Amino acid sequence: MTLFFQQFVNGIALGSVYSLVALGLTLVYGVLKVPNFAHGALYMAGAYVSYVMLTSFGASYVVAMAVSVAVLAVLGGSMEWLVFRKLEGKTPVHSMIAALGLLFFMEGTADVIWGPTFRQVPTPFDGVVTLLGVNITEQRILVIVAAVVTMVGLYLLLKRTLVGMSIEAMAQDREGALLVGIDIRRVAMLTFAISGALAAVAGSLIAPLLLVFPNMGELIILKAFVIVILGGMGSVPGAILGGYLLALAETMAGTYVSFAFSELIAFGMLVLVLVIRPTGLFQKGV
Amino acid sequence: MAGKPAGHSELWEAPESMMSDHPIRDRSRSLGAVLLAGLLMATGCSGDGSGGIDSDGLQVVNIGFVGPLSGGAAYYGRNVQRGITMAADEIAEAGGFEVDGRQYRFEIISLDDRYLPYETATAVRRLLQQNQTPVILVPHAGGIRVVQEMNTREPKFLLAAYSSEPSILEAENPLMLMLPPRFDGYQEPWVEVMMGRFGTRLALLPTTTAYGRAWTEAVSAEWTRQGGTLGRDHGVDYNTTTDFTGAVSRALADEPDVLFIGGPSQPTALVIRAAREQGFEGGLLIMDQAKFMEMLDIVPIESLEGAIGVYPVETYPTPGAPRFAARYYERFGEDSPSPTSEIAINYQALYLIARAMTLAGSTTDPEAIRAYADEAARTLPEEVRVYDMAGVTEGGLITRDVYTAHIVDGEFVSIKIPAPGGAP
Repeated sequence: MTLFFQQFVNGIALGSVYSLVALGLTLVYGVLKVPNFAHGALYMAGAYVSYVMLTSFGASYVVAMAVSVAVLAVLGGSMEWLVFRKLEGKTPVHSMIAALGLLFFMEGTADVIWGPTFRQVPTPFDGVVTLLGVNITEQRILVIVAAVVTMVGLYLLLKRTLVGMSIEAMAQDREGALLVGIDIRRVAMLTFAISGALAAVAGSLIAPLLLVFPNMGELIILKAFVIVILGGMGSVPGAILGGYLLALAETMAGTYVSFAFSELIAFGMLVLVLVIRPTGLFQKGV
Repeated sequence: MAGKPAGHSELWEAPESMMSDHPIRDRSRSLGAVLLAGLLMATGCSGDGSGGIDSDGLQVVNIGFVGPLSGGAAYYGRNVQRGITMAADEIAEAGGFEVDGRQYRFEIISLDDRYLPYETATAVRRLLQQNQTPVILVPHAGGIRVVQEMNTREPKFLLAAYSSEPSILEAENPLMLMLPPRFDGYQEPWVEVMMGRFGTRLALLPTTTAYGRAWTEAVSAEWTRQGGTLGRDHGVDYNTTTDFTGAVSRALADEPDVLFIGGPSQPTALVIRAAREQGFEGGLLIMDQAKFMEMLDIVPIESLEGAIGVYPVETYPTPGAPRFAARYYERFGEDSPSPTSEIAINYQALYLIARAMTLAGSTTDPEAIRAYADEAARTLPEEVRVYDMAGVTEGGLITRDVYTAHIVDGEFVSIKIPAPGGAP
């Protein structure tokens, strides 16, 4: 039974990681219909910015994350401005290829700057907490708490602020939003900026658990796409629940069947959901 | 990276709409995208393959290197590349090596295969056509198996195989040199030490690549042969797993005395960290792919207490190894990543090939070079030797006494594995 609770806690921690990455991805898809593969690169860049702030500038963890969020918001926004805006009105294939190109371009850039070396991000939260035989590291507790805070923050932003409501309006009906006087270009850029900021939060929180290297985004972006499709493309609650669902399924299946099959189970779930409910588990819409 | 946008059918209707819109502009843009993709794939390629005489008056011999230079395994590929490049540079700086009265130097032509065997084959064909490479180094078993089908046909070339998987010898390829020690020498002494110190219960948490599976089979067989009990195999793919905590919790639930782990150094270190965080205090039996000095960048030496694995080069008990490490740091700087056996073995291999070319009196005849490899291994000059080689077997394996390391009270204690006698 201890094993079950241990794995439940492990699954929730992993689910927080997955959801944090999937949030930014689903937001951009919901509003702009761009399958943004480059989100994995934004996540990687977020982790690198935190790494540089922590190691080269000796910043505190919170300051490092704040700088990372600011830098990535600008990077995300300029991505929209420089690339995706130019592809407006083109077929989705254009955006998809551009997103893939950006992913490889950013990975290559990180490789040139930092090399393929694996780097470790120091964290002040490196202790272990044991409760009733269940172990969890402080950093994982931080990830779980921060994920919840981020999700609540995003919810409030979308539902309670003018900016958020214009994002929602654009997700629901682009032309309608335009007609009531919403500056859709600004909203598009803002959406990308928020998505970049979310990627920075995810990257900075997760980096100390794992290692930072140029291709780190590729691994997780695949899972994030599974989650986004599971939850329904463009659905924020879908991305959150999808993340926890996938992580728990992987961990539990690994525990009681085999960890060698955990990938199989993840992608098996994807196929199953697509067959039974092609729109995903949740209705579309932010 | 494929197949993500499933479930969103309009993505796949692109070709028609591409025609209808602005056909010319659209086509030129998608052409641009294809070119961009091609350019991206080509990054990591270098060298022009001119096989003439360079400004120093040295003749140039092209040596091919096909390995992962981008993607998740890039770190590994570049380590191997760094080893041979360092040797090639040293040789050139020392005035080259003599073959049949003329002085030669090596030019390393590197191509990226992203760790994919079919890409290895393509890259090898390109090297043969454009660079006439008499020797090609491949650092992974999958690629080596593919190249074994190619190197005995015209144009023939010598395959320098950097993989410890014994099965690459089964093809009995007459033009291959297997550079590292075969890994099936490690299990017997390692299992004995681990069982003696920690106990008889082993949990398995290795990487699930083909190499990892072969290792797991070998260690499982040896563990039961010596009377131990095995837990279930909880292996995960070290290259694609994001979080090892769950797998580690599961493996530790078997209450093992020793944990069998291994894959690339960095994820292996994450597995160790997770195991120690969850209170595991037993021994660690670590596959030869993971290197202690690289793991020590991520976990402290206390976490590695009771681990058994390959010996770090810096303190390896041969006179050549510390000398090599000093030269390495002098060339790349004190801050550069530590010189692993990956770098050292391939460095030495290039010197061995130069020596074999000298003895054979040819830089282009792979059969003659291969024939003199044994003599070259035995007579390699003292100052460039890292490991003391015993020779090259008929099957192409470079043999030597191998020292492995067991960490006891924070110190590396060496365990000697004698060179395999007349083994194939």
